Amino acid sequence: MLRYILQRALYALPLMLVIIVVMFTLLHLIPGDPVQALVGDYPVPPAYRQAIEEKYRLNDPFLTQVWNYVTAVVQGDFGYSYQNQRPVLSLILERAPRTILLASVGFAFAIPLGMAIGVITGTTRSSTTDKIWTTSALIAYAIPTFWLGQLLVMFFALRLGWFPTQGIGPLVSRAHGFDWILERGRYLALPALAFAIHEGMRFARIMRASVIDTLSQGYIITARSKGLTRGQIIRRHVLRNSSLPLVTVAGYAFGSALSGAVLLETVFTWPGLGLLMVDSIRLRDNLTVVGVVIFSAVAVVLMNLLVDILYAMLDPRIRTGG
Amino acid sequence: MMSTRHGAIGSIILLLLAFTAIVAPLIAPYHPLQQTAASLAPPSGDFYFGTDNIGRDVFSLILYGARSSLMVGFGAALAALLVGGTIGIVAGYFRGPVEMVLMRVIELFQTLPVIMLVLCAVALFGSNFWLLIAAVALAIWPMEARLVYGQYIKLRERDFISAARVADFSTSHIIFREILPNAVQPVIVQVALDASIAILIEAGLGFLGLSDPSMVSWGQLLFVAQDYMDTAWWMSVFPGAAICIAIIGLNLFADGLNEIVDPRSARGMGGLQ
Repeated sequence: MLRYILQRALYALPLMLVIIVVMFTLLHLIPGDPVQALVGDYPVPPAYRQAIEEKYRLNDPFLTQVWNYVTAVVQGDFGYSYQNQRPVLSLILERAPRTILLASVGFAFAIPLGMAIGVITGTTRSSTTDKIWTTSALIAYAIPTFWLGQLLVMFFALRLGWFPTQGIGPLVSRAHGFDWILERGRYLALPALAFAIHEGMRFARIMRASVIDTLSQGYIITARSKGLTRGQIIRRHVLRNSSLPLVTVAGYAFGSALSGAVLLETVFTWPGLGLLMVDSIRLRDNLTVVGVVIFSAVAVVLMNLLVDILYAMLDPRIRTGG
Repeated sequence: MMSTRHGAIGSIILLLLAFTAIVAPLIAPYHPLQQTAASLAPPSGDFYFGTDNIGRDVFSLILYGARSSLMVGFGAALAALLVGGTIGIVAGYFRGPVEMVLMRVIELFQTLPVIMLVLCAVALFGSNFWLLIAAVALAIWPMEARLVYGQYIKLRERDFISAARVADFSTSHIIFREILPNAVQPVIVQVALDASIAILIEAGLGFLGLSDPSMVSWGQLLFVAQDYMDTAWWMSVFPGAAICIAIIGLNLFADGLNEIVDPRSARGMGGLQ
């Protein structure tokens, strides 16, 4: 087991290095003054210019510069955001938990939703269910998340007034305890709903395919001939055996969740990592943009590593098989 | 194509879109950049889809927007086919250490939050039309590479390829004349699906205000609509619906193609499962 974990970790390490190197190279490829490119459109103070030139030794060979950048990033030094007057890392650490909150609440609804739809459409083989499923799956796939977000805001927030249109909470709040959670929950509801609908339909597609596959297995026939009822077969055999692919996808969906967050957070002005990235792009705060990308990519790699290890613990076949 | 119902609907939607994109100047009631006195006017006989904040006709904007969506969509899908196809062929046919390295690169791209990478590229290098295509292609080529790779790995072990080797045909002959014609069918389906993903990504970039500012695009219209959701629902509803229709059309088209290419898998929605 330990050997497997080490093996996976050794595989993840170069991946993270590559990401950092690629991002630095991208920055380096921008035409013009490299220090200016790092800082963006903000005027560079001479002292800072000197500090950067010293830190990354910008007159040294490219490889030395890469090395210096990598060692800085590994130590958590993503540079200083002049637009925000703060170190990039502290910006990221402030924003990341909010994105994680949004994504986890979204997943918490998306997974049962996807499983339910997948099992229902997968076990019912009538042409009407099939038609309804095919049409709704197609439409759900075709709706861009950010447009779905706008529609939700226009209907539930602006027309019905049930939820706030944007933000993470009121500017001034006197609520405490459970009331505070409720108050925050109203802000979270719409972005999480948009997230859950989008991801949930994706999960439903995978679950449905998996359920149909499971139903064709021999043990289902055995279960049927044992005289188990439909409900028993679905609960005891289908559900459990069909869930593994879904768990896999849900585990790896972290990366796409981060990507989706960029658009969703913009619709709802949810101040997470995605919005930080978009705002930094608008301010041309390149160090923060690159910092967010590196941070997200490394988070994804670590998350996938965690998923791999969890699997190996749950399913011994993976440990020995691969 | 017309023999399957999905394929037929998809083809019709695509043809209509392409036609719209081509003849937009002839059928649009207004020039897309023309500012009328009626700003934020709701849909009416004069403005079918209403007007935006500076009095431009949303219907005309959407007609013109079809151009950039389709061009970026298909351009990026073709670029991804070229890059992904080449990498897939090299990895799948030659195998060995090259395969190892290339597969790691593909995996890297498939785990990363690629939209962020695309955003980053556009943010750092600007967003003219060609850069946009390259950036979107960056996000979708791994799917194409994987598919081509799978085809080549499978086909290179077949008897007719061994026969071609024995017959002393050149490597390029085997790759392009023997394997390619047999590998190409699912790839075509994938290109249609890639185009739909590319249109979604392009719309996303437009929505973040990062599309080519000199071209009207559906995503860009949604970007502007974001500030007027409380007063002008039509600014958001119609461009969004246009995106949906394009994606639905492409997926039905791909589905129809799939049924023709691989009749055994004809249980609908091939691309989505």
